[in-house]
Amino acid sequence: MKYKVTESENVSTVFLDGEIDMDVADNVREVVFPLIDSGKEVHLNLKGVQYMDSSGISVIVESNQRAKEKNTKVELKEVSQPVEKVLAMARKFL
Amino acid sequence: MSTEVADTTNLSEKKDFLVRSSSLKDVRSFSREVFEKFKINEDLREELVLAIAEAAQNIVKHAYKDYPDTQDRMAVRISCTEKELEISFFDKGKPVEKSKVKHRAIDDVKPGGLGTFFIQEIMDSIKFKEGDKPWINNLVLTKKL
Repeated sequence: MKYKVTESENVSTVFLDGEIDMDVADNVREVVFPLIDSGKEVHLNLKGVQYMDSSGISVIVESNQRAKEKNTKVELKEVSQPVEKVLAMARKFL
Repeated sequence: MSTEVADTTNLSEKKDFLVRSSSLKDVRSFSREVFEKFKINEDLREELVLAIAEAAQNIVKHAYKDYPDTQDRMAVRISCTEKELEISFFDKGKPVEKSKVKHRAIDDVKPGGLGTFFIQEIMDSIKFKEGDKPWINNLVLTKKL
């Protein structure tokens, strides 16, 4: 998994690339959580994510919860088709 | 990777992996390779890969919860007939307590629970068996083709 972070005035965008599974989920948390904790809006760009499992979904759910606690928000951007399929399945669980 | 039976009506491939989260990408690669070889419908392949990876993840997370540095290996066997795909997992970890295998509410954000939900959504049947020696656990997933 690779990532790149870009910053604008009020938004941090994390471009994730590759496959997100249990093995790399903590790496994603280490990148995303400090940005949320800084109080900025965080966009997760998932255009380059070709595979995501339940661990990746959990990172997204945890990020949303953390953002609410910090009075900010997390948005998903350019969600790839494979990730959209997994998100659709996860939404049935909501 | 070993081919146990190699004719066009009954195919079977088996491979073992170190019980580690870093093995999950190898489990996915093996699965994709086998599904291509078995000519499984492309739309179905990635869903099956997800179910297999979630089941392997559950072995790492739950059967070996207290043994992160184990040198044990887990095995995955994918068998295919014209009508059905059978995917078996073998491990030597903590015996599965069937009553505890269920998905949780998503608010709990426990990946294992959501992973089990994904497996249930994708596969037609899930059976936990005692493994034949030397295995402790044998999970069998099936999907009609």
